[in-house]
Amino acid sequence: MSTPTTFQMPLGPVHVALEEPVYFHLTVDGEIIRKVELTSGHVHRGMEALASQRNLIQNTTLTERVCSLCSNSHSFTYCMAVENVLGIVIPPRARYLRVMAEEIKRVASHLFNTAIQAHIIGYKSLFMHVMEVREMMQDIKETVYGNRMNLASNCIGGVKCDVEPRHFDYILSMLDKVEPAVDEIRDIYDNDPMLLGRTRGLGLLPFEDAVRLGVVGPVARGSGITHDVRKDSPYAAYPELEFDVIHRDGCCVNSRTLVRLDEVFQSFRIIRQCCEKCPDGPVTAPMNQIHPAEACARSEAPRGEVFYYIRTNDTDMPARLKWRVPSYMNWEALGVMMRDCTVADVALITNSIDPCVSCTER
Amino acid sequence: MQEIIKGRPALIDALTGDSGSPAAVHHSTDAYGNAYHWFKLPQPRRLTQAAARLKEAGARLCMISAYNRHQLSEQQQEICYHFELEGVIYNLTVNLGSEWPSVPSITPLFANADWHEREMMELYAIRVEGHPDPRRLFLDEELDAGVLNEAVPLSVMMNGACTTDLWERILKDRGNMA
Repeated sequence: MSTPTTFQMPLGPVHVALEEPVYFHLTVDGEIIRKVELTSGHVHRGMEALASQRNLIQNTTLTERVCSLCSNSHSFTYCMAVENVLGIVIPPRARYLRVMAEEIKRVASHLFNTAIQAHIIGYKSLFMHVMEVREMMQDIKETVYGNRMNLASNCIGGVKCDVEPRHFDYILSMLDKVEPAVDEIRDIYDNDPMLLGRTRGLGLLPFEDAVRLGVVGPVARGSGITHDVRKDSPYAAYPELEFDVIHRDGCCVNSRTLVRLDEVFQSFRIIRQCCEKCPDGPVTAPMNQIHPAEACARSEAPRGEVFYYIRTNDTDMPARLKWRVPSYMNWEALGVMMRDCTVADVALITNSIDPCVSCTER
Repeated sequence: MQEIIKGRPALIDALTGDSGSPAAVHHSTDAYGNAYHWFKLPQPRRLTQAAARLKEAGARLCMISAYNRHQLSEQQQEICYHFELEGVIYNLTVNLGSEWPSVPSITPLFANADWHEREMMELYAIRVEGHPDPRRLFLDEELDAGVLNEAVPLSVMMNGACTTDLWERILKDRGNMA
């Protein structure tokens, strides 16, 4: 007779990787993880129910509060869904300004995730350094949009505020400072033996599993999938901008981090092009008559594809507003990534999907 | 001029066949020329076949949206399944009827349908036949399924957020326990 060698171990719900609650039930054999189950719902806010009790314009504000790091992507995609359902075409200048805000947010979001990885590994000086570099992006947001997190830049039909020429100059001058600093950071994540020892080959998500689970964003692109909504079904100004879709075949924590860091450079490219090419003209289009219809819209947020579905009726409140955030698709991949890893790796692997609990649960 | 809409013609034809009639199908594009195809399936049981077709073509499930249709004072539920293939969105809509809303699970075909189906079970009390793991996703077991089927006034919905009601209830419950 053999005695069972595995036992159950709870982990969470607070502070597993970030200050957001998710509860892991680990089946461990010694300190090796054999099975992962997770329970969530601690921050379920019922936002979809709230959305059907607010009018279309109020919902721009509500959707911006789904997530903090990709707040702009939510109002952006929500506005696109409303524009699709009502047949509004936004002016060219607004298309560029929307993309610019989106890419500024993407740089800040990717650097934040990269910093947290250093924090979890225990490399505190690197954590402080990456956050300090990220602070320059926060300065851009604060100077141009007046806020460090929720930019409130998007509105139905375009963007709320125009960006002045001196702000374009300011953004370009800041990018000249941020870019070399991020280049140094990328070099550290690509070559530092301590970081590589901790992250390379850890948390494997093979290509086949990534396809089967339908993961999105840098998690998919770190496993060799080349999905990127900005290229697959271009929206806003993306068809007119030059950038590459980054992907890597390492399938591990390190390869996901390097995808994010490489994407930061593509974002710099896009922001520069927006500053140079942004056409003059109005920034909003007028509202159209609301009629019963349905439409969807999607965009590439920092964490991957955001998908919105809207049904309108004859009132100014949507009959149904449903959205799916990128993290929603990526959680299940943790079961594959954590198999046969040690308990000490859980936080690091969880952080590698750049999870957002609040936006998953809404 | 006839607008050219992107997509795979063979797949669109096959899904139109599943929908029964051309009237149940429409196509749209957004301002950037991205295509959306909408297919309305006559019965929920047709879903498995249509989803299998999309699976075979290599499509990816993006999202599942359940909602209530309030028409002629009859409450009907519909579910819209959004798939993506080569940058084109294929939407399959099924109407559930009002008596005993149930739909076949597509989780065996698309592993990522798991959470979506569990969510529509708890929010809309839709029965999903053959789901491999029909546990609650976000909401506590204590709450009745189908919370989005009820008309809850916003003031009630937000009691916990902007008044002391929630905390008073917790303190009262605690008092009862002691």
